[in-house]
Amino acid sequence: MKRTEATQTSGAETDAADPSSVIVPSNSSSVPLPPPDAVTHTTCCEYCPVACGYKVYTWPLSERGGPAANQNALGVDFPTVAISGRWPSENMHSVVRVDGELQNVLVMPDADSQVVNIGGTHSVRGGALAKKLYTEDGPTKERYLRPLLKVDGQHVPISWEMATDLVAELSTYTLDNYDELAWGMKIYSYEYYENVFAGSKLALGAIGTPNYSPHHAPADGDDVPGLSDCGIDAFAPAYADDRAADVLFIAGSDPYETKTVRFTTWQSPSGAPIIYVDPRRTFTAAYAEANDGLHLQLRPGTDTCLYNALAREIISHGWENSAFIDEKTANEDELAAESGWRRQRFGMSFEQYKTYLMGHDDFSLEGAERVTGVPAAKIAQAAKMISGGAGPQPKTMILFEKGVYWSHNYENTASIGSLGVLLGTTGEEGKAVARMGGHQRGGQKGAGYPKDKSPHEFDGHKIEMDTERWFAEGKTRFRWIVGTNWLGAMGGTSALRRKVAELTSMGPAVSSTDPATALQQLKDRIDAGGTVMVHQEIYPNESTSFADIILPAATWGEEDFARNNAERRLRIYEKFMDAPGETRPDWQIFAEVARKMGFEGFDWADSNEIFEEASARSTGGRRDFAALVEKAKADGKRGHDLLREYGTQGLQTPLKLENGELVETVRLHADGKFKSDSGKANFVLSDWDAVAERNDILGPDEAAGEMWVLNGRVNALWNNMFDNVRRTISTDRWPANFLEIHADDAAERGIENGDLLSIESSNVLDQLGEKHTGGFTAVAYITDTVTPGVTFTYFLYPGSPANTITSADTSLQPISLRYNFKLGRGTVTKIGTTGLAETMSFAPRNLPPAV
Amino acid sequence: MKRRDFLLGGAAVGAVAAAGVVVPLALVFADDDDIAGGIDGVAIEYFERQRVGSLAGLSSGEPQYFDYPLVDQSNIMVDLGDRAIGGIGENRSVVAFSNICTHMGCPVTDYQPEHKVLGPCVCHYTTFDLSKDGRVVLGQATQNLPRLLLESEGDDVFATGVFRLIYGYANNLAGVNVEIASTAQ
Repeated sequence: MKRTEATQTSGAETDAADPSSVIVPSNSSSVPLPPPDAVTHTTCCEYCPVACGYKVYTWPLSERGGPAANQNALGVDFPTVAISGRWPSENMHSVVRVDGELQNVLVMPDADSQVVNIGGTHSVRGGALAKKLYTEDGPTKERYLRPLLKVDGQHVPISWEMATDLVAELSTYTLDNYDELAWGMKIYSYEYYENVFAGSKLALGAIGTPNYSPHHAPADGDDVPGLSDCGIDAFAPAYADDRAADVLFIAGSDPYETKTVRFTTWQSPSGAPIIYVDPRRTFTAAYAEANDGLHLQLRPGTDTCLYNALAREIISHGWENSAFIDEKTANEDELAAESGWRRQRFGMSFEQYKTYLMGHDDFSLEGAERVTGVPAAKIAQAAKMISGGAGPQPKTMILFEKGVYWSHNYENTASIGSLGVLLGTTGEEGKAVARMGGHQRGGQKGAGYPKDKSPHEFDGHKIEMDTERWFAEGKTRFRWIVGTNWLGAMGGTSALRRKVAELTSMGPAVSSTDPATALQQLKDRIDAGGTVMVHQEIYPNESTSFADIILPAATWGEEDFARNNAERRLRIYEKFMDAPGETRPDWQIFAEVARKMGFEGFDWADSNEIFEEASARSTGGRRDFAALVEKAKADGKRGHDLLREYGTQGLQTPLKLENGELVETVRLHADGKFKSDSGKANFVLSDWDAVAERNDILGPDEAAGEMWVLNGRVNALWNNMFDNVRRTISTDRWPANFLEIHADDAAERGIENGDLLSIESSNVLDQLGEKHTGGFTAVAYITDTVTPGVTFTYFLYPGSPANTITSADTSLQPISLRYNFKLGRGTVTKIGTTGLAETMSFAPRNLPPAV
Repeated sequence: MKRRDFLLGGAAVGAVAAAGVVVPLALVFADDDDIAGGIDGVAIEYFERQRVGSLAGLSSGEPQYFDYPLVDQSNIMVDLGDRAIGGIGENRSVVAFSNICTHMGCPVTDYQPEHKVLGPCVCHYTTFDLSKDGRVVLGQATQNLPRLLLESEGDDVFATGVFRLIYGYANNLAGVNVEIASTAQ
């Protein structure tokens, strides 16, 4: 290596004989390299459902690797070449405690990976994982480190013994004096098998309450019931199917922004045209159009009409997959014999489906153009592309996510699922109708949901409980929130926040750290009709401020965990550093409370024991890993240890054991069998008239000046930003929440980039269906990503609660009790400037690459 | 001493040449908006000053490319037309950046003058805003684009240092096959 011009030759002030003296890193732009003997761990990204494989290197601060391949654990010469996957950026490094000692840590995408993120590619989210790690002198020092009790409005440290005593005794008190329905748990559905298993075993099994719901919905249960009622598994395909497909139909999910490596490694390299369905013209939309694909830019809320119009166009030309329909779909008699009431009621034969589609004018090309705003010619072209027209049938992947199922949940998932059935696109390479996933798949429960105890029903059929309505009715006396920003993440959050404030301030305030006094005061709260709130978390958030008791959790990298990704790939997430302070993994906290409540079956010595126990409850499902544990036992190993041997490659579940060897499942439905009593797939009614009526209720009040306010994720941010707000690469890009607004709407309101906007609606429906006002503020980002009348914002930016304007009335989705998160609306008003125009980038985020 | 403390002290280290390694002439904390763009806590490394172009030569808006501080450390220099973070010249509009993508090292050459952005990168589509200190507009890079420190004398433009780590390097000057570090035997 030589300088471009004269070589620097000034005299040395340091001793060149000491090799360490010529190392620049400690005081320049640099990253220390791991020495060849650095300890290496296997893990996966914490964030999106793609779940790229990562390697973690830890080594003492006193040691450094060198730039030659044989001098560093990365095994690469520096400078590294392009696409090496072995260059650690500064955001891949941190300093953490390992066995009490400060050590270097590098969290690097696994360049040796042959699956998922082949060659060490990564997104901006996973690429900065190192910055999520707890350090004593950085932004992550804000972690909860000790149990806390709110005394006179202030959180003060208490012991674990006192904290778990209080939780156990208040739980028992609630159950003894009220009933199971008064005791609720709201918990992530994904944060590793071991934690979900332990928490649900306590709540659903030992306590047996139906007052249990996941982080993203008011009720437990299926997120894509319409697809499930088609008999199709939402996570049937493998990522390799994306690359094998001839055409990709992607709806309500921007894969580049939110499933990045699936797009850059498995979708865009295939060259298959993308038909992209989204009210916004995002990067993926622009990419699709620049690469022989289409952007179907539909109006918000009109998905069902669009998918039904595509199906009608296909049927009207006879382009459907007749062989599949004849052999693999159920007739009316078979549907009538099904045991599930939903399939009995909404399931349809092909003839019934055809009759429904042909009988509604809105599903004609012209009708659909009028309803959805998508030109008829584009709908016709899309129908031809996904079916092959009169030619041979292509391999079609239909992939979707929350843009589809977080509005008109049942109808949207039924209509897109039925489109997949019509094309018979399932069970083979390059063929599927499936979710792309929102988070990873860690929902291995420890007990079944006690639906028979649920107070809620649909037309006489028991359905899961709307826990937020129950709470708003004041009927939940004890609520345990685990790993979610509850008050940010539900709908109608202004009303919910007001209710929480009311219910947690009834009766006497806790005024003492004396355990007996505090316990009695909290019991008095319960008896006064209020709610005791326990929050198990890693960081403070909008909800924790209301909690009476904070239980500090250990997380990713601080304990051995396991979970699946969106292609059912099971991997271990190894512990590689000390859990900070007094934090404990969630499973330990659940187990201790359960034991104190007198329940049996919570005596696990470590997370592996839960993993092994959980395997027995996974059998028969898409997560089935019983064979792994069986083989581990036969080989005299622990389950986690056998999984560890498979590193970032892991194993695709469900697993089988054949002749002592583990056999993976690349894709589901390859046997031509579907999830129904008959083993056949079927079409499902998606009642468009009901959807259209709901759109009238949920849509903007134009007379009041309202616009659509859609929400979702953006590339650099992950969910409620618990890590992102403590990471410069994220906050540097997004120092504030934004509202995408079209130039015409901005001009009309005198809005320029960087202005601070008030977004408000007085038409928000709360948990009880009553109207209330909600609002938030955000910075204007003028863009042609959105059309006039449509705006878009990030959904969980701290301090900018966008879900204050989304409705929480589940009577608008009574079958599945899912919120219409994606259909917010409100007025937009400039309230001032911010100065961010000078430093924040307002450049277009939808510029396609040169072809 | 922690890196930040060192930088806050504004101390300069002497230049060293040993075993082929060149260390920065000086390190300063980036607290001057005109120089640094106000990015908190990131090091500037001053290297040997080199002439890299002329203001008149950039006035057309066409970008120019050159290596700095080492051969193969490719950069783009452009007059964006409007004031930019870290810009020099009459309009404070001339900026230079490494044009090696900080995601996975592909060259980023698609300068789009209408939007003052560089990209999308051909490999994984990261786009950088050259008027906003090389911030990632959309994409997967875990670091903004390294910006060159520029100064002008008359019509001549000089590079004097680099701000942030250049792709592929463990530090911006030390590199290949150099016998350093306590583990190198």
